[in-house]
Amino acid sequence: MPQFFLNKRLIILLVSIIVLVALIGFSLRERSKLSLPEQFIKDTTGWVQSLVSKPANYIAGFFENLQDLQDTYDENRELKTRVEKIASLEAEVQALKQDNKELREVLGEKKTLRDYKTQPATVIGRNPDRWHEMIIIDKGNVKGIEKNMAVITANGLIGKVKSVNQFSSTVQLLSAMDPKNRISALIQGKSKVYGFVQGFDAKQKLLLIKSIPSGAKVEKGQTVTTSGLGGVFPGGLMIGKVVDVKTDQYGLNQVAFVKPGADFYDIQNVIVIKRSMTQPAKSDMSNGKEEEL
Amino acid sequence: MKKFLLPLLFLLLFIAESLFVQFLPADFFGQNRTLAPRFLFSALLLLTIFVGRKQGILYAAIFGLLFDIVYIEIIGIYLFLFPFITYIVSKIMHVLQANIIVAFFVSILGIALLEIGVYEMYYLIHVTNLDFVSFLKLRLYPVLLLNAVFLLIFIYPLKRYFEKVAETLRGE
Repeated sequence: MPQFFLNKRLIILLVSIIVLVALIGFSLRERSKLSLPEQFIKDTTGWVQSLVSKPANYIAGFFENLQDLQDTYDENRELKTRVEKIASLEAEVQALKQDNKELREVLGEKKTLRDYKTQPATVIGRNPDRWHEMIIIDKGNVKGIEKNMAVITANGLIGKVKSVNQFSSTVQLLSAMDPKNRISALIQGKSKVYGFVQGFDAKQKLLLIKSIPSGAKVEKGQTVTTSGLGGVFPGGLMIGKVVDVKTDQYGLNQVAFVKPGADFYDIQNVIVIKRSMTQPAKSDMSNGKEEEL
Repeated sequence: MKKFLLPLLFLLLFIAESLFVQFLPADFFGQNRTLAPRFLFSALLLLTIFVGRKQGILYAAIFGLLFDIVYIEIIGIYLFLFPFITYIVSKIMHVLQANIIVAFFVSILGIALLEIGVYEMYYLIHVTNLDFVSFLKLRLYPVLLLNAVFLLIFIYPLKRYFEKVAETLRGE
């Protein structure tokens, strides 16, 4: 069918497929920064989005408050029992903090991996196609946000900053499937156990923590936090609680299934975390393309 | 002023999609099913059906590019798929009569094509590792259902509006 190949439309289709592949290739490669036109478009739409989403947030908050009123009585009773414990816990934490500070001064080690500065931000959009789990927040480069910073909610870690514009930035959630996304995690038991948050089980909605040594004892209900050893995230950010432990497919390591502390849906306000401790040069830490956070 | 109404409508739908996802509770429709709104694309298809192929493909390309830059950060996927499926739909509408029921079913078909196309592309570039059967179960059917509901509610006002737009275009 020579006529078929001479068809103008077919040529347009072929050319557009070539352009498509080129464009996808261009945007998939490791980019440290988005190009200027992209940043401009994202900032402009971000501005429009924040115009719309702030009142929407307000209205949603109002309805949530109404819902909360319904179970106020039960909640109140439950909380009252907890408050008494909290007072004593707080006193204890205060004392421990003081102790810690004094001991550090004695040692001359003032900075720790746990120190960080915070920058609150509001969510103004979310990726509607829901293959990439990403949200857009209303703070950008101007407020000191940089690529790869940790992002948390009140309940725990939700992701990292994927790209930064001047007045808005994009956050990739932990539930996104991205093999480059590895976060050094610490499982707190009697002894410290380290592993990597690597992957998300979409069917059970659990995070996978891999590369746990096979001899290490990991139990259900143990708390998982960031370790700070990845070089980018600070330590001590809550990730979740262990639900299940299995041996991995080769029998060399263990895999822990962790229920994330934060809800990956219905996120309205987040906190971006800026680590105080200096970051080691990237070339010192890794030899491959993979990022460890 | 009237000239800006059409782009403004699409921009509104563009933002409404993101808001919809942001406020949708996680287990709204069974635990693991994903509900993705395709409001913008439904409106683009209706624009193609009731106004014309040229406008349809133009708007599809512009908003496809916008969608890629703002939400996906991989340029090319929607930029290609939006105009391509819009073109297929306009070809189908050559044979069929442009009434409201046909428009409904053709739009649903278009959304299904889009979902499958996006899935295949993401599968190729390893954004997802879902197999096809679970994709159908967890994603395609819920998405089609959601957008069918959207179309049922908005197809009539959109048709009225687009026909008015077509008339002013013919008048010029």
